[in-house]
Amino acid sequence: MSNEKITDAAMNGALDGFEAVSAAKENTQLDNSLDFDDDPLSATGVSRKSLVIFFLIDTSGSMKGKKMGELNTVMEELIPEIRRVGEADTEVKVAVLTFSTDVRWMYSTPIPIEDFEWARLRANGVTSMGAAFKELSLRMSRNSFLNSPSLSFAPVIFLMTDGYPSDDYREGLKELQSNSWYKFGLKAALGIGNEANDDVLAEFTGSKDTVVHAYSGGQLAQMIKIIAVTSSQIGSKSMTLSDDTGREIGEEDVFAAKQKLLGQQIQELVGSQVEESDVPFDTGW
Amino acid sequence: MFNGFSHSVMGASHEKTGLVCQDSSAYKVTDHYAVAVVADGHGSKKHFRSHIGSKYAVESTIEAIERFYEDPEQFEENFPKNHKMILRNIEKQIIANWNNKVEKHLKENPVTAEEKSKFTDEEFEKILPESYYGSTLIAAVAGKKFTFGVQIGDGSLVALFDDGKAVMPMEYNESAPANVTASICNSNAATMFSSFYTDKKHLIAMYASTDGLYTSFGSEYDFLDYHTIITGQLTNLETFRQVIVNNLTKRSRYGTEDDISLSCVFDSDFLTEKESLIKEKIEENKKLAAERKAELLKKQV
Repeated sequence: MSNEKITDAAMNGALDGFEAVSAAKENTQLDNSLDFDDDPLSATGVSRKSLVIFFLIDTSGSMKGKKMGELNTVMEELIPEIRRVGEADTEVKVAVLTFSTDVRWMYSTPIPIEDFEWARLRANGVTSMGAAFKELSLRMSRNSFLNSPSLSFAPVIFLMTDGYPSDDYREGLKELQSNSWYKFGLKAALGIGNEANDDVLAEFTGSKDTVVHAYSGGQLAQMIKIIAVTSSQIGSKSMTLSDDTGREIGEEDVFAAKQKLLGQQIQELVGSQVEESDVPFDTGW
Repeated sequence: MFNGFSHSVMGASHEKTGLVCQDSSAYKVTDHYAVAVVADGHGSKKHFRSHIGSKYAVESTIEAIERFYEDPEQFEENFPKNHKMILRNIEKQIIANWNNKVEKHLKENPVTAEEKSKFTDEEFEKILPESYYGSTLIAAVAGKKFTFGVQIGDGSLVALFDDGKAVMPMEYNESAPANVTASICNSNAATMFSSFYTDKKHLIAMYASTDGLYTSFGSEYDFLDYHTIITGQLTNLETFRQVIVNNLTKRSRYGTEDDISLSCVFDSDFLTEKESLIKEKIEENKKLAAERKAELLKKQV
């Protein structure tokens, strides 16, 4: 150890006349030059505050062909970009739920972004969006996917679909809306092609500002990156729980502020995108 | 023979914002018992003296245990016969000690104009005086014939008994409201304790820690394995203590930046007897951790 400045009265303290060690008194100083290399306790890693990004992806038959091919490519490219978001002080994890006739998780639990590998998806079947909402609600819990001891930011939930749900999505959404992680999470949705219904997507996100549309492969790539990266950045940002006057504000206000900020930033970024002249998804469909 | 250690490190976030550490910790070892205690002052605006409250929580607990152990032989005989009632009495004694200390401190140190300046008169009127000092508390007590623990608010208690397995034995009080953090400053604090007691198992080591330690881990498995690794090094405590301090500092700095306190008591004779079992457990835990990670990375689609 070099330049160690830690004081430790408790460890050296007399056993008979105990003394409570308050760091207010025994203020432990942190020294930037502390050397942690020789640490047998490093077998159990230090976990930072975590952010789980949930991707809900429609893999119904209508996604076949160009849409699914482009989505797979974009998601593979996106992982390194999200990894950079988490480099500073947030542990980013990814969970992917696909829905068609059945709902299925890509991995059995959220995976740290540095270990995450995209499994190429195939499209088939109908659009069981309501079932996906129910499954998400079930897993978004301290007893299931969000069981890490480390503190969590509210999750990012990103829905991508190209069509109208084939099941009772409202029933599933009602269940999801009673989940606190959903309530405080950052929600965004991407409609792919002409058939996707923006009203349904806005019901999911709670606001039209966080719903965008992609009509071509180029737009799909742009939109996925804009939403995923922006929401991860905002989601992993600590916002103060007090205002300028020192008045404490509720957590609800912080989450509402984050959701509003996400909507504003998505709309700004979408508005600044240059139109590309690639072929729309619905040409020839 | 009992031994122990305790340490508190200040959270990096508190250092950045100029706050004092809200945690306190201590341990006491005698021929008949050993007690490890930690407390985490709430630290939010209305708990503006919680760094003092956490210190009082730790002192009050050790004083209460001392009092019940005034006649060790008698206590060792009586406690197993009626441990539930005696545990409730210990909890009540802790609260009474803490309230006395807080009352005395407030009398000798009335709220200053600066402390009041952060509130409107109306806001300040609504805060109960004991709330200024609000804190959690976790105590782990190793006796010759039994082991017990009490807790109010968050934090963890980990024990390793004769089978060498790290466990969290606390039986949580289901009557404490789930959405309210239990605190030693609550008016009904004495009813909000969780506790555990056993006279069936022989204790090797037991740890009390504040929330900052638990939240610096990615999984509960890692958290428990961490205590097994420390236990494997306790026979060399003099050399190892600095490693623990460094690791707590690292966890606070690179983890969730919260204050961290860890307090431990152990039976050094029994530990020596069980040393090879603990080393085996550490190796077994490493293997299980690798298996869990491999399972986690299996794709399902």
